[in-house]
Amino acid sequence: MTVEQEFEAVDQFPVGMRVLAVDDDQTCLRILETLLHRCQYHVTTTDSAQTALELLRENKNKFDLVISDVDMPDMDGFKLLELVGLEMDLPVIMLSAHSDPKYVMKGVKHGACDYLLKPVRIEELKNIWQHVVRKSKFKKMKSIVTNVESTDNTDQNGVKANRKRKDQFEEVEEDDEERGNENDDPTAQKKPRVLWTRELHNKFLAAVDHLGVEKAQPKKILELMNVDKLTRENVASHLQKFRSALKKITNEANQQANMAAIDSHFMQMSSLKGLGGFHHQQRQIPLGSGQFHGGAAATMRHFPLGRLNSFGGVFPHVSSSLPRNHSDGGYILQGMPIPPLDDLHINNNNNNKAFPSFSSQQTSLMVAPNNQLVLQQPSYASLNPGGFSPHLEINKRLEDWSNTLLSTNIPQSDVHSKPDALEWNHFCNSDAAQAGFSGANNLGPMTDAQLLRSSSPSEGLFVGQQKLENGSMPSDAGSLDDIVNSMMPKEQSQADFFEGDWGLDGIIAHSELAYENLFLCFLCNLVNMRKSVLFRHNQLLLPLVLSFFFLLSCKKKPVSPLCNLCFKHDGILFVLPMNLLAVKEWSNL
Amino acid sequence: MDALVAQLQMQYRNYTASLYQQGFLDDQFTELKKLQDDASPDFVAEVLSLFFEDCVKLIGNMARALDQTGTVDFSQVGASVHQLKGSSSSVGAKRVKGLCVTFKEYCEANNYEGCVRCLQQIDIEYKALKTKLQDMFNLEKQIVQAGGKVPQVDN
Repeated sequence: MTVEQEFEAVDQFPVGMRVLAVDDDQTCLRILETLLHRCQYHVTTTDSAQTALELLRENKNKFDLVISDVDMPDMDGFKLLELVGLEMDLPVIMLSAHSDPKYVMKGVKHGACDYLLKPVRIEELKNIWQHVVRKSKFKKMKSIVTNVESTDNTDQNGVKANRKRKDQFEEVEEDDEERGNENDDPTAQKKPRVLWTRELHNKFLAAVDHLGVEKAQPKKILELMNVDKLTRENVASHLQKFRSALKKITNEANQQANMAAIDSHFMQMSSLKGLGGFHHQQRQIPLGSGQFHGGAAATMRHFPLGRLNSFGGVFPHVSSSLPRNHSDGGYILQGMPIPPLDDLHINNNNNNKAFPSFSSQQTSLMVAPNNQLVLQQPSYASLNPGGFSPHLEINKRLEDWSNTLLSTNIPQSDVHSKPDALEWNHFCNSDAAQAGFSGANNLGPMTDAQLLRSSSPSEGLFVGQQKLENGSMPSDAGSLDDIVNSMMPKEQSQADFFEGDWGLDGIIAHSELAYENLFLCFLCNLVNMRKSVLFRHNQLLLPLVLSFFFLLSCKKKPVSPLCNLCFKHDGILFVLPMNLLAVKEWSNL
Repeated sequence: MDALVAQLQMQYRNYTASLYQQGFLDDQFTELKKLQDDASPDFVAEVLSLFFEDCVKLIGNMARALDQTGTVDFSQVGASVHQLKGSSSSVGAKRVKGLCVTFKEYCEANNYEGCVRCLQQIDIEYKALKTKLQDMFNLEKQIVQAGGKVPQVDN
């Protein structure tokens, strides 16, 4: 029986928990056995570490917990601890007459869940079951395929508490109740889970889009989605994560913005204030506050295909993404189809820019504790510093990634997608965006299959192409360059993804042309550096965090990216500075 | 009969209390007694007999280690002492445990004479404890045979 089965089968857990006790001292072993029996555990004893290992190897699921003495003649207790941890991944408790802290430290370092001193008291043994629960919960999280309701919800409880949105209060309360129920019974974690496929998520997004991120209510979303067997609770929790992720992205953006010294400069762009709803503070921006969505978002939704030539009045209309979202069959991945790209390309012309500041500051900003900033360079056309027309050819890839991400539901712990370098090349090389993209489209399935799989958080996600075609990486890129180079040899492998959080916060701007969106976002950010602007393209919600470092410069002067296109998907934050592609892995979303 | 039981019980109580007072036993022994129930009526006796077996074995090891002609392997002695310390603390053999602590220090200091002395003392101690506990168990048996219940004596 697996641990979880044990939990389910034995309602009175921790009663019946199966413990393996190892101690060469027969007196202690006998006492331990009796104590454990008194705690109503099921006990197996052995006086030899070798025997213990054999027992464990014979059937990995036979035991829930191992208690082992430290000093044993046939094998060091710590060695046994290590082996058990490696081979069986069971919680191990060390037992010893040594009260010396260095032994305790050793135990901890070798992975012991706990360290008990002899003589053992029954009170201490009464709580050892917690280690089993903890471990199984941890394992569960790692192997989760779909939404993790109980654990995530706990986090979101806290997050939600900080939200200022009052109109969502009802929804929050309802969700809290649900989660409260779940959390009350930590062992009953197995519930039928909703698989948030790409298709489902698209519908969700469309519904949210339609209702407005701020105003979206699970009930209405559910109605709009019109999916069988989907409950309001499923939608509610998904919506929570969605918002939470958005919030997080905004926070990141906020943090970045806070470190800038150029805030005041952007505040002068008062013309953009007319967009409404821009928050100028460093506080967390509530997800899709009414102002945003209603005002700016609505405005921004309609973004023309034409070019932006000025700062003022820069938000012409764009076609709504909603119909596209639904009708865009390409986005619903059945296998790995690639949707037709809608003109979304941004050609980055900042060939000559180095990013010393970018790397130093942005990496510090962007890199979360466990993440690596992976930088990557697409090839660029010539830089056009004067005119604000960043070109960054990425989005086809981004969409492919997101498609793939959403379509495959695979354990989260070790996956990040990466576009095929070849395809990326293809994109980057072609100046004619459309042609390039549509051509690239055909490579889709193959490419997706080659998405990178990063098996550990320490591997960054290497996005796209390796080096600029024209070697336009600024010579004085400094550490950024180094990072890029160091990321070169990353290999490709199958990408695994699961439906993850979408960072959504801020204005949703939509445009057919990515660069226009960028520009738009940039403008928005000029007004409010702490806001991350989102733009959506074909269901790909891309928060755009604009770097406040921008310095328009040209020709080999070090310059920070003009803006960073960021989108987060499934825990991976893709940060694409206008003149450089950088991808950061954002784990543990 | 009742008078006999009562008398035996009182005797038992006094005897056990004296063992605690004289430092032969400590709280851990009380805990052990709590674990004894109808399901395992002789639990304490079992454990104690195991303990005494261990004593014999470990003391033998120590003696052998100390008896080496040439250099004494104090770490080996120390390992045995450590184990004895663990057992004695688990059963509540207070004096034995105390001696083990001292013994250990001598081992770490590579103090041969100190070790030998300690070893002798431990030998005496555990035997004394064994005798005392034997008497106590006998009293318990008598009480039970007389139809009474063994009184609970906590420290």
